[in-house]
Amino acid sequence: MATDKKNGRRAVVVSGVRTPFVKSFTDFTKLDTIALGVAAVTGLLKKSGLRHSDIEAMIWGGVILPTTSPNLAREIALDVRLDPSCEGFTVTRACASGLQAVTAAVSAIERGDNDVIIAGGSDSTSNASITLPSKVVHAIAPLALGGKASAADYLGVLSQLMPISEILPRQPKIAERSTGEVMGESAERMAKRNEISRQAQDEFAVRSHHRAAAAIAAGRFDDEIVPVQTPSGKWVHADGLVRADTSVERLAKLRPVFAKDGTLTAGNSSALTDGAAAVLLMSEEKAKSLGLKPLATISSWSYVGVDPADQLLMGPALAIPKALDRAGLKLADVDLVDMHEAFAAQVLSVLKMMASTPFARARLGRDTAVGEIDPAKLNVHGGSLALGHPFGATGARMVTTMANELARTGKRSAVLGLCAAGGLGAAAVLEAVS
Amino acid sequence: MSDFLLELSKNPRARALVGALGLPIPLPQPLKRERGPWAARPLADARIGIGAAAGAELVPALAEALTAAGADAFIQLPDSLAAAFRAPGETFGRPARKLESLGEGTKLNALVFDASGVRDVKGLRAVYEFFQPLVSKLARSSRVVVLGRVPEGTDAEAVAAQAALDGFVRSVAKEIGRLGATANLVIVARGAERRLGPVVRFVLSTRSAFVSGQPITVTARAKAIDEPALVRPLEKKIALVTGAARGIGEATARALALEGAHVVCLDRPADDGPTSQLARAIGGTALSVDMGDDDAAAKISAALKPLGGIDVIVNNAGITRDKTLSRMKPDQWDSVLGINLAAVIHTTAALEPLLRDNGRVVCLSSIAGLAGNVGQAAYAASKAGIVGFVRATAERLADRGITANAIAPGFIETRMTAAIPIAIREAGRRLSALGQGGLPEDVAQAIVFLSSPGAQGITGRTLRVCGGAFIGA
Repeated sequence: MATDKKNGRRAVVVSGVRTPFVKSFTDFTKLDTIALGVAAVTGLLKKSGLRHSDIEAMIWGGVILPTTSPNLAREIALDVRLDPSCEGFTVTRACASGLQAVTAAVSAIERGDNDVIIAGGSDSTSNASITLPSKVVHAIAPLALGGKASAADYLGVLSQLMPISEILPRQPKIAERSTGEVMGESAERMAKRNEISRQAQDEFAVRSHHRAAAAIAAGRFDDEIVPVQTPSGKWVHADGLVRADTSVERLAKLRPVFAKDGTLTAGNSSALTDGAAAVLLMSEEKAKSLGLKPLATISSWSYVGVDPADQLLMGPALAIPKALDRAGLKLADVDLVDMHEAFAAQVLSVLKMMASTPFARARLGRDTAVGEIDPAKLNVHGGSLALGHPFGATGARMVTTMANELARTGKRSAVLGLCAAGGLGAAAVLEAVS
Repeated sequence: MSDFLLELSKNPRARALVGALGLPIPLPQPLKRERGPWAARPLADARIGIGAAAGAELVPALAEALTAAGADAFIQLPDSLAAAFRAPGETFGRPARKLESLGEGTKLNALVFDASGVRDVKGLRAVYEFFQPLVSKLARSSRVVVLGRVPEGTDAEAVAAQAALDGFVRSVAKEIGRLGATANLVIVARGAERRLGPVVRFVLSTRSAFVSGQPITVTARAKAIDEPALVRPLEKKIALVTGAARGIGEATARALALEGAHVVCLDRPADDGPTSQLARAIGGTALSVDMGDDDAAAKISAALKPLGGIDVIVNNAGITRDKTLSRMKPDQWDSVLGINLAAVIHTTAALEPLLRDNGRVVCLSSIAGLAGNVGQAAYAASKAGIVGFVRATAERLADRGITANAIAPGFIETRMTAAIPIAIREAGRRLSALGQGGLPEDVAQAIVFLSSPGAQGITGRTLRVCGGAFIGA
């Protein structure tokens, strides 16, 4: 268990917000990850009614970090004009960065380091820098950073830059550095090995969209989403990727994108998205003293590593049972399950593993399977397939939505699960505050 | 010394030309080898066809080992045996498929047949029925493994049926050698079933590329090791390799270090340079001793005592002084027997107090020792002596979990074999199922395997690494 509780201190989630999530290269193209973070944090402060000086620290998660200013937490705090004494650091744990920021904040609060922390995450694929190949940098750097350059030096550089094809910037693919495999290809292999059909994947994706659409229509997200004004003056109020009118027939028309005879399509894979989410965490006493009602506690979490060359995205199948153990709960006891939907095939594979007794015996050292999850309690308001997946924001979005769900419905517990690039898995258990 | 035909064979245009013109040039198949430390799933994505005869007893152990190693199993088994694949399939995300579902043109990377239940000539028919239609589906550098039981007892037909598997496998090895493929027989003694996994993993992987036509016996004689490590198996172990300056010794020292061992590299003072360089490169220690000295064993023991104990002894240092017997001088006889056999016996004895439980003794023999050779009466005597030495040593140390085995290399491309006259060298290369010489790393990998905890079932044996050489048995 990662917390070191001093004097029985408990951290509580007091509030959470997110920006709308939109497809990359659409409405938020001119807002970089820091700007999106600023929008979320500003909205969170307004909603919670706290003063700028109340925020002691910020912990932020992100995957695509600007090379010259990677400490997003600090940059956002400065842009929002929080008190300069509000310190900050930034974490990167691929798609689980947002959750990592939240659990790091819980650790700090329960250790007594801080009383009030804003933790969240953001990513803007639209503003990812395209890197020049190392060959170019090494050839040009001495010229650019050294002293006076002669004509001979310039000619020397040109000769190093041949052939031209090697120096053109390359489009970054979401590929594992250690295996060179594109993430979608890894998911495709998992679909084959775990025997997840195209039909099952499309049905799952449709359910995600319909549930998200229902939530939007019912105003369920109104409390959580802060509208964002883009530099052109346009206001964005709603998530841009949700398709209320999608259907299995519609998705069946899409072509496989990662393998010729594959089952993964753009419809059952999460899309590149821009967005941010922020969560307000405090010690329980501080919340009480400020007259703020806590939404939930983070009772436990678990981070695991699996072999990226084997089943890259199976992490949650190991992390979820570990987090449940640490919270003293069984899967059957939990009221809500929220899984990050990187790919429908990935979620369905993980569900299969958790329902398998041989898997539990060999990989978890227990006699019985972790359990089967009732579809009615899984991703009740849709997930990343419908809402989109701004890498660093997703974990914080899930904490926000589930904490709010526990508070609204009076349910007792929720477990979150996320897979992440690099062969990582993350899980956390949220419980209502009595 | 490079093998011209093998180099030619690696060139696709040359291969095409030879094939088109129908030239009678035996182009050997380049062997698929993996470099680097042992992988967690050495059989990843390999398509393995699996069958069994009635009464088969080893399928569950096979299912567990193959699936954990990453293999895609294509099974031709009755439902009662096929069930053994269900749990490992779910655990590792590799459900077994039916062999008949394999596509028409798809090749198999291995064929494994459990013949442990064969007790009569009629039972042998199942072996023919499984392999006959499938041998043509084998891919290049593929593997054939037959599992059997120790042929002993008073039921003559049962013993004969099990013994028959040996001849079958040796012949198949010779037939598929042109594909760069190997065939081996793994004989599992009663009570040793749990020790089968790591052996099958090794034999089916690319690490056994030059082992073919061999029987490998697995017994429960040595004290058991629970859950032997299959990745970085020699972590925290100390190994001694004699003759480490070059060739097989150097390849072995490097391979042991890759698996986590701290290697003491030993060679003559004259070879101090290469030995020290090697030790530095692999994070080991160099030791300069001439194995021909009378006090060599005492010197080595004194040098290793401060380490507190050692886990693996590889007796690799050896010399040749080839001369036909009538021309052989006394000092030639003495130096060959002295270094190749006496020094091995004395060094191992001197180090025995330092050897930890579950330790390993691996000695280098040679197919010359098994088959004899013109001009090598002394060499062959010394190498045959090694075979007996490991048999006795294994028996004596089995209760401490220490295994002792010998490796008998066939034709391996080293400085030693480069010095052989060309006609004899060519004969050495070609007269084997794989039609080419092996590499020092092939022998090194076999030594690493025998040194690993997973080889606890193999002791007192001599494993040929000869590419299915025609001479000897």
